[in-house]
Amino acid sequence: MIRKTLAGAMALLASTAIGAQAQTIPATVDQPVTITYYNYNLASTGNGADATRRMIADFEAANPNIKVEGIGASSAELTSRVQADIAANRVPDVVQMVFSDLAYGVDNLGVVGLEDIVPQAELAAHFQGMSPKGLKLGVLNGKTYGLAYTFSTPVLFYNADLFRKAGLNPDQPPKTWAEVKAAALAIRDKTDAEGIAAGIFGPSAGDWLFQGVVRSNNGAILSDDRKTLTFAEPAAVEAVAMLRDLYDSEAYTNLDVTAAMEGMAAGTIGMYLQTSAIQGFLVRGAEGKFDLRATTMPRFGDKPQRPNNSGSALVIMAKDPVKQRAAWELMKHMTSKEAYTIITRDIGYLPLRAEIVDDPAYLGEWVKTHPLVRPNLEQLEMLEPWTSFPGPNYRQIQKIMMEGAEMAVFGGMDPAEAMKAAQDTAQTMMPK
Amino acid sequence: MTADLTLRPAARLTRPRAAPLRLDTAIGHAVMVILAVFCLFPVYWMIVTSLRPANEIFDATLWPTSASLENYAHALRSIPVWRMLANTFAVSALVTLAQVVTGLLAAYAFARWRFRGDRLVYSMIAMTWLVPFQVVMIPNYLLVANMGLLDSLSALIIPHFAGALAVLMLAQAMRSFPAEVIEAARMDGAGNWRILWQVIAPNLRGTIASLAILVFISTWNEYFWPLLLSRSPENSVIQIGIQMFMTSEGTAWGPLMAAATMASLPILLIYIVLQRQVVQSFMKSGIR
Repeated sequence: MIRKTLAGAMALLASTAIGAQAQTIPATVDQPVTITYYNYNLASTGNGADATRRMIADFEAANPNIKVEGIGASSAELTSRVQADIAANRVPDVVQMVFSDLAYGVDNLGVVGLEDIVPQAELAAHFQGMSPKGLKLGVLNGKTYGLAYTFSTPVLFYNADLFRKAGLNPDQPPKTWAEVKAAALAIRDKTDAEGIAAGIFGPSAGDWLFQGVVRSNNGAILSDDRKTLTFAEPAAVEAVAMLRDLYDSEAYTNLDVTAAMEGMAAGTIGMYLQTSAIQGFLVRGAEGKFDLRATTMPRFGDKPQRPNNSGSALVIMAKDPVKQRAAWELMKHMTSKEAYTIITRDIGYLPLRAEIVDDPAYLGEWVKTHPLVRPNLEQLEMLEPWTSFPGPNYRQIQKIMMEGAEMAVFGGMDPAEAMKAAQDTAQTMMPK
Repeated sequence: MTADLTLRPAARLTRPRAAPLRLDTAIGHAVMVILAVFCLFPVYWMIVTSLRPANEIFDATLWPTSASLENYAHALRSIPVWRMLANTFAVSALVTLAQVVTGLLAAYAFARWRFRGDRLVYSMIAMTWLVPFQVVMIPNYLLVANMGLLDSLSALIIPHFAGALAVLMLAQAMRSFPAEVIEAARMDGAGNWRILWQVIAPNLRGTIASLAILVFISTWNEYFWPLLLSRSPENSVIQIGIQMFMTSEGTAWGPLMAAATMASLPILLIYIVLQRQVVQSFMKSGIR
C-alpha cells in the first residue's frame, strides 16, 4: 500500500533525476559534507553492525571532509524507508539495496548509473581486480547501477554425523538432485532426522534460491528483453516438478525458512540448502555437538549448476555533485580489498575481489582455517545475477510466482498448471 | 443495609462445608492450574532460553546444563538496553498523560454541551478508531519529517497526543455522571474548568486509571511506528532493540530473550502493583 501510494511521486522524481545525472562529479571533496548511508547491517546487532561501523569510522578517518550518517533499517523494510524519505524530500546518498529491488530502484527511485557520474578511467581503475561475474550483478540495461556488497551463493550445508549414521560418506557429499534425494531418504530411514530442507519457500524467502534452482535446469523466470515472464516454460516446470517429487518422496521437508535454519543448527535435519551468509549461525549451533560441513549447490544430472546471488549492492542516489563524489568515495572504500576482507571474514559474505582469497595480506590465512567458505568461493566463478522483475508491481509478480511454485511443490497442484496460472496472472502486472 | 449485615455471617458459615466436596470446583481449579501453566510457560521458556549458551539454544531440556548470564552481557553490549528502556518509559508515560488530558477535555465537551455537528464529530472520532495506524503512517511520517523531528522521541509522542479510545471511554463515563452534582457545583459558582478538574475528574478515577493502563501498555508494545522512525538505537524504543537481534543471517535467540526479559520487567512490575486495575481495564474495554 505504501509502495503504491508513493509510486507516482517516485516516477516523477526518477524522471527529474535523469536530467541531473548527465554531469561529472568534482575530482575531490574540498569542503565538509555529510552524506547519509542506509544500511541494513546497522539495523541489527552482531558482527555485521560492528564491521559496518568500523568501516565507516575508517572511511571518515581517511576522508576528514566527509561525515557519514549511518541509518539502519532492516533489509525487508529498507526500500520502503527510502521511498518514505524521498517523499519527505530527504533523498538518501548511498543505499545498501537488496538485489531484487534494484530494477525498481533504477526505474522509480532515481538510482544513479555509475558511468553517468564517475570518469571512465577512474571507474575502470576501481573495477580492476573485481570478479567479472560479480560486477555483472549490479548491471542493468548495460549500465552499472550497483556494486555487489554483501552477497553470497546457495550452499548445501550438511550434518556429517547424520551422514555417517545413515551409512553415507560425508567426504563425498551429494552433487546432483538425484543424489540429494537418495541421501535424504537414507537419513530419514536410518536416523530420527529429516532428510533435506531448503530456504526456497516461505514469507521471508524471497525468490533468489528458487531462481537458482530453475536456472540450474537451464530455465529462466524472465525473457532477455525483460518483457515476458517465462517461469511456466518447460525447463522451469521441470525444476518445480523435481522439487515436488522430492517432497512427495518425503526426502524434502516442508519447513519455514527460520524453522529449517534452526532445525539444521539443532542437528535435526541432514541437509539444508541456503545462503552461505547463515554459516556463522549454523557454526554456533553445531559447536561441540556435530560435524557441520558444506558443499556446492546440487545440479540437475550433467547440467552445470548455475547459482545466482542473494544479498545486496551499494547504490548511489545522491543528486548533488559534491555529495555524489563523497558517495562514490564511500562506495570505493566499502568495495576495497580491506572492506571485502572484513565483509567475508566478519559478516560471512563473498568478496567481489577474488584476488584477496589467497593473498596472505587479506584472506589467505583465514580461508585455510575456515573450509566452510570454500564451496561459496568455488561458486563465485559460476555466479549469475539474481533477476529483479521490472515495474512497480515487481513484488506482487515475485509473490505470485512463488505462491504458484509452492502450490505445485507442497499444495498438490499439477506443476505445469500451477506455474501457468501464476505466470498468466503475473504477466498482466508487467509494465506494458 | 441491615439485611446485608445479617446475611454475611451466614454465607461465611456455609462455605467451608460445601467447598472441599464439590467435584466441579476441583475440576475448575484443575483447569485454572493448567491454564496458568499454559500462560506462564512461555515466560519461563523466555527466561530459560536467555540463560542458555548458543549451542544449547534449541535443546528441549527444562533447564540448561551450563546456565550463564552471558546472553545478558551480550545484549547489554549490543544495544543500549537501559537507554532504550528509559526512552520507552518516557514515551509511554507522556503519551498516556497526553491522551488522558486531551481525552478529558474532548469528552467533557461531548458530554456536557450540545453544539451543531457534535454527533457527527463524535462519530468521526469513533470511526478513526477503526482506521489501522498503518494507513496513516506515511502521512504522519512526512509530517514529522517536515517538522524536523525525525530521529527524536518527540516524533514517537506527538502523533499519539490524542486517541479515540480515550475520548470514547471518558465521554461514556461522563455521560453517566450525575447531572445533579454538576448543577450543584455550578450553583456554587464553579465554572466548566473547575467542574471538570475538581468535580468530574476525581470521581472518574477508576475509568481514568483503566484508560491510563491500557494506553501505557499499548504504547509500550508499539512496534510499526517506531520501526519506521528508527534511525539510531539511542533514539529508539526497546521493541526495536529486540528486533535488532533478528537478521537474515539468523536470529540470536539467547541475547534476544535476555533483552526481552529485561524489557518485560517494567510491565511485569506495573502488573504486580496494579493487578486488580489492569484486569478491570481489560474487562471494561474488551481485551486488546
